[in-house]
Amino acid sequence: MNNIKPGQVSRLHTRLDRSLLSRDKYKLFLMALPFLALAFVFSYLPLYGWIYAFYDYRPGIPLKDSEYMGFYWFTSMFSNDVRRQEIVRVLTNTFAMSGLSLLTSVLPVAFAIFLTEIRSTFFKRMVQTLTTLPNFISWVLVYSFAFMLFSVDNGFLNNVLLNLGLIDRPMNILASDSNTWLAMTLWSVWKTLGWSAIMYIAAITGIDQELYEAAKVDGAGRFRLMWHITVPGIMPTFFVLLLLSIANFINNGFEQFYVFQNAINMGRIEVLDLYVYNIGMMNSNFSFSTAVSLLKSIVSIVLLFAANHLSKLFRGENII
Amino acid sequence: MVEKKEKLGIFQILNYSGFALFTLLCIFPFYYLFINTISNNDLSSRGLVLFYPIDVHFTNYMDVFKLPGLGLAAFVSLSRTVIGTALTVFASAFLGYLFTKNEMWGRKFWYRFLMISMYFNAGLIPWYLTMLNLGLVNNFLAYILPAIVSPFFIILVKTFIEATPISLQESAQIDGAGYVVIFAKIILPLSMPILATIAIFAAVGQWNSFTDTLFLVTDQKLFSLQFILYRYMNEATSLAQLMKQMSGSANMDLANMATPTSIRTTVSMVVVTPILLVYPFFQRFFVKGIMIGAVKG
Amino acid sequence: MNRRKQWSVFTILISIMLVFTACSGGGSANNVKNTTETKPSDSSSSAEPGKGDANGESAAKEEITITVFSMLANYAGEQPGWFAKLIKDKFNIKLNIIASNLAGGQQKIATMMAAGDLGDLVVFGSNGDDYQDAIKAGLLLDWNQNGLLEKYGPDILKNAGQAIDANKQQFGGGTAIYGIGHDVGSGEGPSEGAEMVFGPNLRWDLYQKLGSPEINTLSDYLNVLKQMKELEPKSDSGRPTYGISLWSDWDGNYMTLAKVISQMNGYQEGDGFNPAGLTLVSVNTKEWQGILDDDGYYLEGLKFYFDANQMGLLDPDSLTQKFSDVSNKFKDGQVFFSQFPWLSNAYNTPENTAAGKGFALIPFQQEKIVSYGMNPYGGNRVWAIGSKAKDPERIMEFLNWLYTPDGMMEASYGPKGLAWDIDGSGKPIVTDYGYKALPANTEPVPEEFGGGTFKDGMNQINNTTLKNSMIHPDTKEPYDYNLWTSVLNHDPDPVTKSWREAMGAMTPREYFVKNDLIAVHQPVFTGDAPATPPADIQQKLSEIGKVIKEYSWKMVFAKNEEEYNKLKNQMVDKAKGLGYDEVIKYDVEITEKTVFANR
Repeated sequence: MNNIKPGQVSRLHTRLDRSLLSRDKYKLFLMALPFLALAFVFSYLPLYGWIYAFYDYRPGIPLKDSEYMGFYWFTSMFSNDVRRQEIVRVLTNTFAMSGLSLLTSVLPVAFAIFLTEIRSTFFKRMVQTLTTLPNFISWVLVYSFAFMLFSVDNGFLNNVLLNLGLIDRPMNILASDSNTWLAMTLWSVWKTLGWSAIMYIAAITGIDQELYEAAKVDGAGRFRLMWHITVPGIMPTFFVLLLLSIANFINNGFEQFYVFQNAINMGRIEVLDLYVYNIGMMNSNFSFSTAVSLLKSIVSIVLLFAANHLSKLFRGENII
Repeated sequence: MVEKKEKLGIFQILNYSGFALFTLLCIFPFYYLFINTISNNDLSSRGLVLFYPIDVHFTNYMDVFKLPGLGLAAFVSLSRTVIGTALTVFASAFLGYLFTKNEMWGRKFWYRFLMISMYFNAGLIPWYLTMLNLGLVNNFLAYILPAIVSPFFIILVKTFIEATPISLQESAQIDGAGYVVIFAKIILPLSMPILATIAIFAAVGQWNSFTDTLFLVTDQKLFSLQFILYRYMNEATSLAQLMKQMSGSANMDLANMATPTSIRTTVSMVVVTPILLVYPFFQRFFVKGIMIGAVKG
Repeated sequence: MNRRKQWSVFTILISIMLVFTACSGGGSANNVKNTTETKPSDSSSSAEPGKGDANGESAAKEEITITVFSMLANYAGEQPGWFAKLIKDKFNIKLNIIASNLAGGQQKIATMMAAGDLGDLVVFGSNGDDYQDAIKAGLLLDWNQNGLLEKYGPDILKNAGQAIDANKQQFGGGTAIYGIGHDVGSGEGPSEGAEMVFGPNLRWDLYQKLGSPEINTLSDYLNVLKQMKELEPKSDSGRPTYGISLWSDWDGNYMTLAKVISQMNGYQEGDGFNPAGLTLVSVNTKEWQGILDDDGYYLEGLKFYFDANQMGLLDPDSLTQKFSDVSNKFKDGQVFFSQFPWLSNAYNTPENTAAGKGFALIPFQQEKIVSYGMNPYGGNRVWAIGSKAKDPERIMEFLNWLYTPDGMMEASYGPKGLAWDIDGSGKPIVTDYGYKALPANTEPVPEEFGGGTFKDGMNQINNTTLKNSMIHPDTKEPYDYNLWTSVLNHDPDPVTKSWREAMGAMTPREYFVKNDLIAVHQPVFTGDAPATPPADIQQKLSEIGKVIKEYSWKMVFAKNEEEYNKLKNQMVDKAKGLGYDEVIKYDVEITEKTVFANR
């Protein structure tokens, strides 16, 4: 994809002899080493804590005095029919919402591409800045705003619809189970769209302007420029982010779902993270939550390499 | 980007109005929250402030600015944001560049070593004990060190650099430039857009972060602004917590001390403002596309 | 040359790393110093204990900062304001408060426990898992050590001796003393102040307009509420009114507001000694019911709210709103029925009561309101001292003072002469300033008393010592200022006046006692510690709790009786599938072994 001219490469290889290259390879590694050490200390060292997943660990009590539980915390989730049904339900929700968020992950790309088509710099900057605002409002406040809009008692929407005579009874939108998945996806798109687009805007900025000039000389129109230069230019970034979100397929986080959950929509809103929070955190069972996060780490890493493998098969390159 | 003077075609009209509409959708909640913070608290708590402020006052903001220790906390937050962001951006740029070098010893392995760590979560207690053993409890460095190496940013930089023509680096190498020189002279200016992105992400992350303060800091000299605000927002709202924990004897007088929404909202406003002020500054890195030719020349 | 430059950058990088490492090493040393300011233990200063000497010797004592780890505090950082000044003058002590509730709750507690240091003074939210684990892990100091309690805590022994004994029996194997419970009190009768914890409270003015209809059972309220709604269909700001408005963000393992109904019938969740599970237990007999029992109070509560909804009396937002929304609806006059007196007080503003509008207690004739009763063995919130505390003597002196009558008054209401005083006849009065500042208002405090506002300056540890309805030995009036004769007779508002005349009692508490509508919790003394349920029971409990919560709300909003019953059956089936019977069996076993065996 990069425009490497064959001539240059061969010229380079004649200039650099093998010994220099092998000295370079350790030098490069040594330059990276301090940072790798940091990563090791902060990300790998604490992993010894995974051993808690096999005990009934209580903070403060040394491990040797704690009861050894084997794989109890891993299997207890599946130990009877009711639980298995629960897990199936929770995973269905998780997959549905992750699937929807994968589908909507093209939206920031489109947002960035179309935004660069805006010619007024002022307008462009305004849009860019103001659309990031929702990203900074906590989910708790988003909910209180949603409640203001959609509540039955004095909700803005109900008031308007009643006044217009479009409905004769107020609707209880927040306590409804229709389209929960979609509604949650829309909230999250609204909240993150402007913010995620920043990465793509940066990627577009990185595209060589000469390419556009050259294509325009060839008489290409706006959409052809978009399709043949801009889109390929940001594809690498898109695929990398796609890969990361595939690996995050079972991690939806729980905050959003936590504030929006209620008895009526519980059946569909409860994703894995919320489920674990609801049953694990209430009574602070650390061994159980460690077991779940261990499982999740393994699934994520498997997904990461699987997706990478697919990318290699279809696009001929590794992403990681 | 399109320099040919066009007439305002149907595409542009749709494009402008589409963005205008979405922007409105994004601002309105914010506007709504804002007018509630400056309206009569009694009216706003009863949901009577909808489109325009009523009985404008600024006592909510005054109350926030009168919080004891706010000045020092702001200084702590500012320091961690500036220092943390600078180091994170540097480390991400440098590592991102190093990982584009195929000749690096064990490149693939080390790159994956970093990527995988994104999906590890050892849990709170082991993390805390590690930090404690490293001496990072009640220590300013706890805000900085763990954030320096961030795999997500590294992967962004690496992808970005790989999309730029390799020819630039090669010609410099032929001129005898080493890695560090190429990094400083070619890679850094070339990756400005992505570095600006990372800077924004990292700075916002640092500015908004308070969980590290929650668990790692008890010395009030090191409280961050976010922590002070968080504490202010949550004083006496842990009531629900108490109700769940304790059977019956919970002291219910607390209920009347619960923080009103107006205060929570005010705090969010205070938190966002600095970000909004700084963000446009970074935007100049996005407005113009870079001319590879110019760098080359 | 380039190469050299390149290497020098690299070297700089490495040195930065080294500096960081060095710094962090230094940081940890600082950290140790910061937690408690060490001082050489000063034997002369700890020679004589007692409250009198605390004042006199403060000059001789070095200033120390005590780290207070409180699981009940709602404030983190250094204690500010009048309370800070008070204890600085008395003990030369500063408090640095760590509040787990503001810092991740249970997770914060877990990290402190795992690190093996709970600070100097520790306040446990309950005497369950955390307290018992802390003892097991050796994180708490034995008060017998060096005669600590005897030498520096004589008033604790004098005023709360039974509570110390109880703690010793239950948690210290009969010898060691690791802590003391809160709200220590003795005597018969209810322990509450002027108002009880539960109601129900309704709009008194509307009730009188309706001619004060008789209310025998819970369901009788519904008709009254219906008439109230007809009488006043719109609130103060023109919103629709509701009989009842509920919220769900306080739910634990069931719908909290349905459970409250049991507390108007002499039952409460759990036995009041062991952690609550899925049983409702009578507070003064040996009876209990499962939470899902068909004829139990929980289902009665659900049915009550279901019927209210059928009659159009229930706020349709009940499911989706939070507590603060409901509180605002009360303020606006949108709701007529309040399960708790303190909730409806939001409506009783001076303007409203002056206009004759306000909430007041309207009990039903079969009510048996739960009172928590006096407990000489102490409540379940525990004061303890960390095993790594540097100055246990000074901490004990401070704690001792909190258990004295003077400490009770001053730690709750501020120094004498500010918000309260003693009049010529030796009776306590609230000063003009006090009427503005109490119980927790943002009234500025004069500089000589510590400055700031009254609210901010309050004792932020947020745990109590002696029960505040106990009688002060000198004034012969309760500690609680709401019960002082001078306060009860201080210019009652029209609503209160009319209520008193109609009900023939000064306070709700008096009314309940007079008419025998009360069930007072009997304190239990047992040699056992409260049970700590095994992990599998706890996990089952939270899974079942999720089901109960979900279905309870669905039942309340069911379209008709048929759907209500269908949902009820589904709830019971699902709960049983998750091990409901096992949890009940466990709950009953521990209750019979400890509470019923001693009742």
